[in-house]
Amino acid sequence: MGDSGDDPALVAQTLAGDRAAFGVLAERYAAQARRVARAVLGDPDDADDAAQDGFLSALVKLAQYDSRRPFGPWLMRIVANAATDRRRRRNVRRAEPLDPALVGGGPRPDAVAVRNELGERLRAALAELPERRRTAVVLFDVEGYSHAEIAGILGIPEGTVRSEVFHGRRRLRALLEDWKE
Amino acid sequence: MKNPELFDHRPDPQLGDALRAALEPENHAAFVARVMANYERALEQATVPTWEVLASWFRPGVAVAVALIAGFVFGQAMLTPAPADPASFEAAMAPAEGPGLAALVTADDPPDASVVFTSLVEPR
Repeated sequence: MGDSGDDPALVAQTLAGDRAAFGVLAERYAAQARRVARAVLGDPDDADDAAQDGFLSALVKLAQYDSRRPFGPWLMRIVANAATDRRRRRNVRRAEPLDPALVGGGPRPDAVAVRNELGERLRAALAELPERRRTAVVLFDVEGYSHAEIAGILGIPEGTVRSEVFHGRRRLRALLEDWKE
Repeated sequence: MKNPELFDHRPDPQLGDALRAALEPENHAAFVARVMANYERALEQATVPTWEVLASWFRPGVAVAVALIAGFVFGQAMLTPAPADPASFEAAMAPAEGPGLAALVTADDPPDASVVFTSLVEPR
């Protein structure tokens, strides 16, 4: 999750009006916020809008941030909520209906497009998962948050996070195994 | 790749890398620039001069104040009883005919008790 040890100091500087400090935070967490929002929304443009909403919302609530706690989960909770709100407001522009050939069983792509094709299949497989499940998997395996932190981000019990990660992984791993064969 | 049927509390780097590549956003610099532009805009909006804020409140504030004052005055008028008729008030305060209470007080001899009671009980 990068060098986040000085996050509380950057937050304090931002609250004092230091624009550069906020710039460092934005730079540090932009990619993560976009990935998390994309895990929720699927569509990359919607995800970017949601991540923007999340950053601005965090800015408004910055004085409420408890500097004794890590900044990343606090911010990701706001971003995830912003993404969920956006999906509800726009009456869900869910991911395109899945092409069965993408999720599995389709023709083997040529070697040139292997990586893009794998990404496409993973995104399609992610979109098949329930929103909470795919967000939990991304927060755990991509962003490296603990089950307890994800429980805080998603507002669900830690045991539920473990279950969601387990079931989400099982589906995605099966896809990867299939891909490797 | 780990066994998908086993529960594992540790992150799976292989799955994580594949997912990261699949979700990796593009144009990082453009996105951060957009965040900062929104931040600057929010700061500008947060530093709008106070008098402008007060001015924006002025018209609706005056309208509400006028409505409240009018309502208060109307309410007071409805609740206050009408004043008594001045003529009947004066009649009520007029001294009774006869020697009256003053005569009783200034008399050399003590008045008869029946006279005192009569002066108090009789209607004027």
